[in-house]
Amino acid sequence: MLIQFIVFYVFAAVVVGSAFMVIAARNPVHSVLFLILSFFNAAGLFVLAGAEFLAMTLVIVYVGAVAVLFLFVVMMLDINFVRLRQGFMQYLPLGAMLGAILLVELLLVVGAFVVSPEVDTLAAPMPPVEQQSNTHALGQLLYTRYMYLFQASGMILLVAMIGAIVLTFRVRTGVRRQSIRAQVARTRADAVELKKVVSGAGISGSL
Amino acid sequence: MAPLTIPLGHFLSVAAILFTLGVLGIFLNRKNVIVILMSVELMLLAVNLNLVAFSAHLGDMVGQVFAMFVLTVAAAEAAIGLAILVVYFRNRGTVAVEDISLMKG
Amino acid sequence: MIEFPDISPAITELWLAIAAMALLLIGVVRGDRATRMVVWLSVGVLAVAIWLVWSDADTSVVTFSGLFVADRFAAFAKVLVLLGSALALVLSLEFLERERLERPEFPVLVVLATLGMMIMIAANDLLSLYVGLELQSLSLYVLAAFNRDSEKSTESGLKYFVLGALASGILLYGATLVYGFTGSTSFTGIAGALAAQEERSIGVLFGLAFVTAGLAFKVAAVPFHMWTPDVYEGAPTPVTAFFSLAPKVAALALFMRVMLGPFGGIADDWVGIIGLLAATSMVLGAFAAIGQTNIKRLMAYSSIGHVGYALMGLAAHSPGGVRGTLVYLTIYLAMNLGAWGVILSMRRTDGKLVENVEDLAGMARTRPFLAAAMAIFMFSLAGVPPLAGFFGKFYVFFAAVDAGLYLLAVIGVLATVVGSYYYLRIVKVMYFDEPAPAFLQPAGATIAVIAVTAIFTLLFFLFPAPFVAEAHLASLALFP
Repeated sequence: MLIQFIVFYVFAAVVVGSAFMVIAARNPVHSVLFLILSFFNAAGLFVLAGAEFLAMTLVIVYVGAVAVLFLFVVMMLDINFVRLRQGFMQYLPLGAMLGAILLVELLLVVGAFVVSPEVDTLAAPMPPVEQQSNTHALGQLLYTRYMYLFQASGMILLVAMIGAIVLTFRVRTGVRRQSIRAQVARTRADAVELKKVVSGAGISGSL
Repeated sequence: MAPLTIPLGHFLSVAAILFTLGVLGIFLNRKNVIVILMSVELMLLAVNLNLVAFSAHLGDMVGQVFAMFVLTVAAAEAAIGLAILVVYFRNRGTVAVEDISLMKG
Repeated sequence: MIEFPDISPAITELWLAIAAMALLLIGVVRGDRATRMVVWLSVGVLAVAIWLVWSDADTSVVTFSGLFVADRFAAFAKVLVLLGSALALVLSLEFLERERLERPEFPVLVVLATLGMMIMIAANDLLSLYVGLELQSLSLYVLAAFNRDSEKSTESGLKYFVLGALASGILLYGATLVYGFTGSTSFTGIAGALAAQEERSIGVLFGLAFVTAGLAFKVAAVPFHMWTPDVYEGAPTPVTAFFSLAPKVAALALFMRVMLGPFGGIADDWVGIIGLLAATSMVLGAFAAIGQTNIKRLMAYSSIGHVGYALMGLAAHSPGGVRGTLVYLTIYLAMNLGAWGVILSMRRTDGKLVENVEDLAGMARTRPFLAAAMAIFMFSLAGVPPLAGFFGKFYVFFAAVDAGLYLLAVIGVLATVVGSYYYLRIVKVMYFDEPAPAFLQPAGATIAVIAVTAIFTLLFFLFPAPFVAEAHLASLALFP
């Protein structure tokens, strides 16, 4: 009971603190790193509330994809790009520190999992659908009752894909691109040439 | 599902603070549009926290399904936002908020 | 196990989704040369969708476990939205070809945005509301920035995106509060929970306020309008035309369904807010447009004002009010389409599109047909009888007075008087100023759209009955 409160307050404090730093940091790279920290801790809060699958999704989708995308764009666009590259080492301590915090927190989360079963037995009886694992219950809803919106969110992702491509993709001249058609159409005849090598004459003369 | 041993109010307070920070980030930021996009993500995180807390409190899965959709849309939104930012930067060479003022009136 | 839901009511949505993907494939395979074909195919797709909606309009079903509703109200709004999207596409073709924006993604994104609007209109749950709204909004952000080499277009896309995402976040936060304090996301569930509660929890009221603010942003009602003039000015002109048509109708239809459906039982708590939104929108739309020289900005303020009139019908929260708003939207769609058709024809002989009010000078002598049509639209937008715009205003004013909102009706009449000044200024510039260089002959399709909408606007007073009767049946669907 008490440990849950302690864990909650640690997560909550770090979420709020790093969210503050996201908007307060002078350097956008710091902002992205604090955003990652914030998401990691929010995932911890999700686990405390019993939403394990969402917690994992948050880490995978946000930390794995969205935050990296942000970092990528920050790196690509920053006007002080030269200074950024020069000062790469100066971000290392901060990055390492954040990494250390994340590690400690992950250990704490694992610890909370070990401790929590005692609390589970105190739970009030829940409807059958909730006695399944969280992921199972979520999937059972998502693919049946919410099928319509599941498909619709597929269309949203399609729009995001079309939008990102139509806005940013440019055909640049002078770039050697892979031609899949040429690769597939290549036959053995184009690629391999058999030469009869006359014995004793060496290979150079016949090429 | 684990029961919600932490009182609901605690979760909601954290979400409320996060949401406020996100909104503040959008309005107070004068330096960098990328940080504004991050503030939007903070707002959506607060929304998700709210949904998950309510879901646990009510013993209802719908909140988590909702949060799932919010996550999906937020990822799409981030992609589009960054794409627009990139084309904007190509045209203007800056991402400072004060410079977004070609049109006024 | 759950049974497979009845998908037949959602046939329009399915058709649009599948067609959008097919069109995208055509565009990808054929490349930019296929733009003209994809545009016309998209118009055809939307026309088929209109037929699909209309052939099954007389229903009232809820499917997909209560996420989706098909009723007469939805059918009416869907037809308006589909018409708006299709005709905006017709108007956009010439622009795309002349400005070298020929990319087949443009019509595909319009179709996908329309799909989002269909989902919004048919929403019967906070989740469908959110997903539909985002599908629409994300497509619109991209469309606003579609001219990616133009500083103005990308800036308007960025502005629209940032403020739109903020509004979505606010709406969503409100939706979570409503969910948490009523225990349901379904509109019927929320209405039931609110009816069962003895006194309203502060959480629900907060949620309602946030949801209202988010929706007010999407329809661009004052004080959530600040994005509109900049986005309208910066976006490519056909995109601006599209913005002012279909998304506005869809967002207003959604606004009405949300307010009168789940929150219909607590109307006393929101009528004042909606009335305030309506009043401030009408007044600001009238006054802020006076000083504008850019016609796209002027149309932006004009659309803000018109949203105010449409919201007046919602503030009346009666079947008469909804009927008034629906008639208003029908007429608004026709006159705005025509006006945008004329604005898209303001192309000098050197091929450049101009967008200042002064550029219209003396158009009555150089292009008499266009000038006459524009005069009809401007008189109608101002609300001069017997043109269509007058009837739109008449029905909402009537509903407002019927609901006892006298102050709102008076403000509306005064705003109409002030607003007519800038509409009539355009007519004066066209007819009495020294001619500016002539415009190019617009494309045949543009002329056809202008002609049809002008005739509709001019002759609406001869046959208002079928539209009003249809709107009346639609409005009853929201008041079971």
